[in-house]
Amino acid sequence: MASLSNYLRTHRKRLAFSQEEVAFLLGVNGTDKATKVSRDENSAREPSLQSALAYEAIYGTPVRELFAGLYEEMEQKVAERAKLLGFRTTGKATRQRQEVIANLLSKLTV
Amino acid sequence: MRMDQPSQRTRILAVSFSSRGFGYAVIEGGSALVDFGKKRIEGDKNMGSLAGVEKIIHRNQPDLLVLQDVNHAKGTRRVPRIKMLHKKVIALAKERHIRVVKIAGRDLRSRLLGDEEGTKQEMAELLAKQFSNELASRLPPKRTAWMNADPRMDIFDAVGLAVAAHDDGAAMKLNG
Repeated sequence: MASLSNYLRTHRKRLAFSQEEVAFLLGVNGTDKATKVSRDENSAREPSLQSALAYEAIYGTPVRELFAGLYEEMEQKVAERAKLLGFRTTGKATRQRQEVIANLLSKLTV
Repeated sequence: MRMDQPSQRTRILAVSFSSRGFGYAVIEGGSALVDFGKKRIEGDKNMGSLAGVEKIIHRNQPDLLVLQDVNHAKGTRRVPRIKMLHKKVIALAKERHIRVVKIAGRDLRSRLLGDEEGTKQEMAELLAKQFSNELASRLPPKRTAWMNADPRMDIFDAVGLAVAAHDDGAAMKLNG
């Protein structure tokens, strides 16, 4: 089964932080700070790169694991594009490029 | 927390209803407690609980739903409201194509503690050790005769159901 889109809630609960506390650590301003964290956790929006890296710093877990479902989705899309690129560059790719493309293709699940 | 590879993952949602509301737990791959909590429901408890469970299902997309067997298990004394709620939750799970497993209280204690006469407190202490990061700080104090059941026990009841369902599927009733 596919991963959840993100595991932000899992890590927050593991550390027993409230959404307000995480919002404070992220540097969110305003009266309804917890709403931003809630929206990130419920995948109602994708956080900015700054927020994603701040989550990594707070939870001590790499972004690709925090956003595992999203990462898997991106990985598939890149692998699909790599397949096209592989066809386009047949015969003229260097060995290193071929290895990168083969590595990406190995991640295609369908 | 190290996440398992997708092929190794099965997400199990367990829900334990009580007079206050319900506790829930989501276990992934058998070793990661990815979501858990308790909800206190005011007003129409069944409608509120059903809406709460629906939200948790939507959020966690489980493969399997585990409930306590409140209808056929020997010695069960659950109130009719909760029995009715179980039927509604099972119907909801079927609508979402989620497999349902029911485990009797005695089976649960027998599987986790190796003793069907074991207590909820013993079970909670065992689970607090197994998931120490998440649950150790939430372990309720030992209950004495004049105390009400601690609301946090709903979480441990749900985690126990999820762990038992993961550990051994042999004696479970499917889609019952």
